[in-house]
Amino acid sequence: MASHGVRPNYVAIWGWLVALMIAGLAASFLPGARGLAVVLIFATAVAKALLVALNYMHLKFEPRLIYAIAIVPVLFLLVLTVALFPDFVFSR
Amino acid sequence: MAISAEAPAIPGILPGKVGVWWFLASEIMLFGGLIASFIVFRLGSGGWHGEAAHLSVPIAAVNTLVLLTSSLTMVQAFATAERGDQRGPRTYLALTILLGLAFLGIKAYEYTSEILAGFTPGTGIFWSFYYAMTGLHALHVLAGAVVNSILLGAGRLRNPHRLELAGLYWHFVDVVWIFLFPLLYLA
Repeated sequence: MASHGVRPNYVAIWGWLVALMIAGLAASFLPGARGLAVVLIFATAVAKALLVALNYMHLKFEPRLIYAIAIVPVLFLLVLTVALFPDFVFSR
Repeated sequence: MAISAEAPAIPGILPGKVGVWWFLASEIMLFGGLIASFIVFRLGSGGWHGEAAHLSVPIAAVNTLVLLTSSLTMVQAFATAERGDQRGPRTYLALTILLGLAFLGIKAYEYTSEILAGFTPGTGIFWSFYYAMTGLHALHVLAGAVVNSILLGAGRLRNPHRLELAGLYWHFVDVVWIFLFPLLYLA
C-alpha cells in the first residue's frame, strides 16, 4: 500500500461484520412492510462490503488510482442495472 | 540496467497491486452482470419469494460466518508476516484454506439437499440464477484456496506483499458472497 499508517484492529472489524450479519438476518424477520426490511438488509450488506474493502483490502490506505480502478466498474454496473429497468421492470 | 522485481513501477503503489485490482475490476463486471440481471428479472417478475423459501437460511448464515472468518484469518496472515512473525503466516494461511474448504463442503451439502428435493438449474429462472451465481462464486473460492495452497507450499510467506495480493482476491470473493447472501436468501 502507499502508506501503511496505523493498521486497523482486524479482530474488531470482524466483530462488526458478524454484528452486521446478525442485524441483516434479524431485519429479514421484521413483521409488516417488506420494503423497510429489504432496505435494512441491503444497508447492512453495503456496510459489510465497505468494512471489508476499506480495512481488509486496505483501500483506505491506497492512492486515487486504486480507488478509480475499484469504483469505475461499480458505476458502470449501476448504469447497466438502471438502464435495463425500462425494458424489464417498468414494462410489467 | 538491472530492474528490481520489487521496485514500484507506479510511485506509491507496490508492484502487482494495480494488476490485481485491474483483474478484480473485471471480476466486478462478471459478477455484477449476473447480479444486475438477477435484480431486473426479479423486479420484473414480481418477486421469487416462493422459490427462495426453499433455500436454507441457517445453512447460508453459517457459510457467511465461515467466509467472514476466513477473511479475518487471511488478513491476519498478512499482518503477522508484516510483523516478522515466523509461524503466524503459515498458521493463518492454513486456517484460511481450511475455512474455504469448509465453505465449499457446506455448499456441496446444500446443493445435494436442493437437488434431491427436485430443485435443479432447469426447474425455473430463479434456480438457474441461483446455481449460476453460487456455482461461479464457489469456483472462485476453490481458485482462492488453490492460490493460497500454492503460497503455503512455496513457503515464501515472509514477504507480506505476496500475502496482501492473495488477500485482495480472497476478500473480494468474500464481498461477492456478502451480496449474494441477501439477494438469494433474505430479500
